[in-house]
Amino acid sequence: MSAERVAVVGIGQTKYAAVRGDVSLPGLLREAAYRALDDAHMTMDDIDAIVVGKAPDFFEGVMMPEPYLADALGAVGKPLFRVHTAGSVGGSTAIVAASHVESGVHERVLTIGWQQQSVSEAMWALSFPIPFQQQLVAGAGGYFAPFIREYIRRSGAPDDIGILVALKDRLNALKNPYAHLHEPEISYDSIKESFMLWEPIRYSETCPSSDGAFAMVLAGEKAAEASAAASGVNPAWIRGTAMRSEPATASGRDQISPKAGQDCAADVYAQAGITDPVADIDMVEMYVPFSWYEPMWLENLGFAPEGEGWKMTESGRTRRDGDLPVNCSGGVLSTNPIGASGMIRFGEAAMQVRGQAGDHQIDGARTALGHAYGGAAQFFAMWVVSSEKP
Amino acid sequence: MGDATSEQEILRAPLTIGYDFQRTTGPVIGAFFTALREHRMLGIRDKAGRVVCPPVEYDPGTGEPLTEMVEVGTEGTVTTWSWVSNLRDGQPLDVPHAMALVQLDGADTAMLHAVDAGSPDNIGSGSRVRVRWRDESVGGIRDIVCFEPIEGGDHG
Repeated sequence: MSAERVAVVGIGQTKYAAVRGDVSLPGLLREAAYRALDDAHMTMDDIDAIVVGKAPDFFEGVMMPEPYLADALGAVGKPLFRVHTAGSVGGSTAIVAASHVESGVHERVLTIGWQQQSVSEAMWALSFPIPFQQQLVAGAGGYFAPFIREYIRRSGAPDDIGILVALKDRLNALKNPYAHLHEPEISYDSIKESFMLWEPIRYSETCPSSDGAFAMVLAGEKAAEASAAASGVNPAWIRGTAMRSEPATASGRDQISPKAGQDCAADVYAQAGITDPVADIDMVEMYVPFSWYEPMWLENLGFAPEGEGWKMTESGRTRRDGDLPVNCSGGVLSTNPIGASGMIRFGEAAMQVRGQAGDHQIDGARTALGHAYGGAAQFFAMWVVSSEKP
Repeated sequence: MGDATSEQEILRAPLTIGYDFQRTTGPVIGAFFTALREHRMLGIRDKAGRVVCPPVEYDPGTGEPLTEMVEVGTEGTVTTWSWVSNLRDGQPLDVPHAMALVQLDGADTAMLHAVDAGSPDNIGSGSRVRVRWRDESVGGIRDIVCFEPIEGGDHG
């Protein structure tokens, strides 16, 4: 039995902001969900199942929001369940949703990722002194900073590559009306002079804390073509999906370029028929919460040889006018509702191949990669979407 | 070195977590709590025409957004109840009381709250009760201290 072809036929997102105090938690999800349904020319009645994903419950202090989301989303009488894989959750949630269509169990699935970071302090929510357990006392940036330092040492990268990434992504965000940070005055010097949080990570090289939600409608071939005929927008066909995980800490694990990330990329490229990633992929939405992760992931994902990812960034190849545009939406560096961030990467990739990315559209984008990672760089989720049906 | 499966002391340690959160209410629940602060009760009309109190943001059946706030009474009728005679920490009243579903006048649904009835002889399905308000209200469900029987009412 061959798998059903799956496409993204509806996309909706909220305006992202530090505080979305005007809506309740379900109201935030609905804003994205109903925009995705409108985009797909569908109503909730057309949806067979709902798959939601968010970051740890402790980030919001709402334990198990799923039970009351069923009626708040208008999902009464339908299967509704939740996925959780730390920061990569938005990506893995989309993949779980896609698998339900691919398997033939459901024809049309709504998937939503969200976070209300304003209701708590996610930075320290995972840093409790739990007895007898390894303690994360650093916050995310403090955890990753030493690995960034090690990347710089290994690769011999100039120390301003991170500044170039942050400048590019924040300028890209100016073309995305939904992005959280719109900083028209940002400059190389303003980033360089910003507060050093965890050397070598400066304040302006880190992601913001955002409220927001992102939703997609995924459909099987027949339903996708009917939706596209109604909406007039080309589906984004899913050409491959992959997830990998590995231990947070294990002797021999390379935290600079985790094997799980390399394996996940190789798997998704093989499914999508990609043999030369730079040539075959038109743009990438990559999970870059700290600026230096762009060159690090360029290597981990096979776009550059080991130690040379920073050269792609430095030479401008990842800018929107380069040969491998990365994070045209402004990326995680401009918008970070954690539980949604991975889905935003996947969904922005789909928007590009559907030709609906507006001012940040890359002309002629046909094949795009969405990438997410989470935990201690130990969970990876990726998909390749294309304007061409597989 | 001993065998990990051999008899040994198993260590335990306490873990007490405290952390600050905030909540956003949205337009509907926000209006309900704001009205409580003014000693008024609000419900909302659902798509079937029923008045739901406390109000909900989305129709329980169809999922459509609901917007028509309806003021209901501060008196109502007990639909069902349970008597709490053995008091423990954290209960709403420090005297024996009822926990009851109260359908406020003008509402089509009932809400759970305490009724300071004094004795189980003074409450029953169909009993009439009224809100006893907290003196200094803040915009929360505990602005209602409890309900109390209306004198001369039917005790079912």
